[in-house]
Amino acid sequence: MAPLDTATASNLFTIGAERLALLGKHHKQLMQGYLDGFIDESAFSEGALKKLIAARILWRPDEQQPLALRPLVSELIASMVADENRRQINADVAEKLEQIRNRVQAYRDAQYKGDYSVAELQLQRLTEHVHDLSGQFEEAIDSLWHRLNSDFGFVSSLDDKIRENERAQKQLRRLLDGLDLLDFTELIELSEGNNHLRKLLVSQLQSQLSSHHSSLLEVQKRLVELLAKFRQQQSRSLLIANMAAFLRQHPKYQPADYPNRSEVPELFNQSAAIKPHAAIALDKASERQVLAELVRSLPRPAAVTLLDTQSANFSALLQDEEIAARQQALKTDVENFYLRVIDQGGKLSALSYLEQQALEWDSEIWLYQIIAEYQALPVDEKQMFAILREEAPASDFNSLLLIRDISIGLQAA
Amino acid sequence: MLQHGPLLERLLAGDFICKITEEDAYRHLSLEQTQQDINHYLRPLNRRLVSNDDHSVYFLGYHELNKDAREQLSSQFALTVQSLLPLLEWLQLVQETMGRDSALTAGDTIKLQEFVLRTEDNQSLRQRLSQLASDRFFNSQSEQLDSQVKQIFRRLKEHGYLLQPHAERQYYIVTGKIDYLIDVIRFIRDEEHLPVDDTPTQEALL
Repeated sequence: MAPLDTATASNLFTIGAERLALLGKHHKQLMQGYLDGFIDESAFSEGALKKLIAARILWRPDEQQPLALRPLVSELIASMVADENRRQINADVAEKLEQIRNRVQAYRDAQYKGDYSVAELQLQRLTEHVHDLSGQFEEAIDSLWHRLNSDFGFVSSLDDKIRENERAQKQLRRLLDGLDLLDFTELIELSEGNNHLRKLLVSQLQSQLSSHHSSLLEVQKRLVELLAKFRQQQSRSLLIANMAAFLRQHPKYQPADYPNRSEVPELFNQSAAIKPHAAIALDKASERQVLAELVRSLPRPAAVTLLDTQSANFSALLQDEEIAARQQALKTDVENFYLRVIDQGGKLSALSYLEQQALEWDSEIWLYQIIAEYQALPVDEKQMFAILREEAPASDFNSLLLIRDISIGLQAA
Repeated sequence: MLQHGPLLERLLAGDFICKITEEDAYRHLSLEQTQQDINHYLRPLNRRLVSNDDHSVYFLGYHELNKDAREQLSSQFALTVQSLLPLLEWLQLVQETMGRDSALTAGDTIKLQEFVLRTEDNQSLRQRLSQLASDRFFNSQSEQLDSQVKQIFRRLKEHGYLLQPHAERQYYIVTGKIDYLIDVIRFIRDEEHLPVDDTPTQEALL
């Protein structure tokens, strides 16, 4: 490269590199400053602060204010981390166009004078401007898509989302207006007779911008749809909250009798359910085979082995006096139980009585005896007592009911 | 008609068909030809296809409103009116508990466990939930938060407002029947001129 002034250029290089290094050197504190909105001055040495201010990285917006990042630095960070809260969209096309026109003029002048190194430099600057212009749209479109795809998730409330969406739509309109400023007949004229210029300004820029244009229209469509969705959600939330409040305030509220109007509103025309049932039919001989297979394939319940339940044995009845005496004692205890029922008047559980009185009978024998005693009563006395069995099935597959307990109560006469 | 057999069965059973419950069936139902076919088939049963305003759910209504049909509609309507407040309160409760900025809509997912966890530590949410669970519509007798929530979700599933994609996994998807509920509320509001606003105030718009 043969720039105007090699000294200036190398000077620029040194300063620029030094200042960029400053960003790296203090990256943590600067990023914290970006998040907080101001710089914690105690985190830096006096000298470092001076250097950062001189490098136009930090500034003091006002005497009273703490140091903060310069807006351009904040913007750079926002764009690098795609922070949609702070990312800026630059929709200014007019300025860029002006620069492009000037550069084209300067390039042509240099060429006319035969100063090819200058012309080369101008062409390079021009190329940068053209890329900037396209990049500006690309950045904006990227930011818009990013916001769209996250459903504006960077703000929390629906109201904020609606406001952000509207802001994005305004930016988008400005971008589209900016695109309208680009007049391709003018660019064709500018590049007339020069291959480099034509390639840069016409074929390249035009195709880029037309793709940006269609992207922007797509984004616009989606933004409008999303806004409609947000608004719908908002009105739905309000409807739910307000209707619930209304119904709470008017607990007896009854709407009109829509089902008996001559014209029943569609929404309330909801018919009763019909459940189609079907059964096996044996009228088609051809299907018998299939049916037989179906029957065979029915899952058989696994044979349930009943737990060996302890059971009382009455087969050897009263063989000697000892047993007879025990039988008598049991009978007496059961009679006492019935007497207690009569005394108490309420319902009495056989097993809890057994436990309460600390009787030593086997619970099953006890229950048998109570039932036996009940069955042995004369009919009119039987009616005095209500017998209540507490039962449960033997297992999930066996519906045999086992008696768990019995309650006897006095029947209201 | 053969191809629509399972769909007809679901419709006849009183199910609401939406994009969430039966995507394919819903797509079929949106075709005019299918609607005609189904209505033709249902004619002898005195049934026809009905949908809400924006056609996001389909269900069956009576073709001809005879006395029996009106009686059924009346009792159905009474049930609907009874269920309005508990359903609305549930919607509000979910929105607040899950920290959502908008009401539930068809397709939203709710994880039961997350809902329980968020309710557990918040006394006021817990109390509201407990009150809601004991409402006649949800009819929970339990004192336990976990079983109250399960009962609420079970009832909502029975009524077709929620879909549980896997029987053994406790997450639910909101169905299009919620749209129907909102339509019903909007209808009653408009018809009865209830002072129930659903447009944000001018202030919020600006």
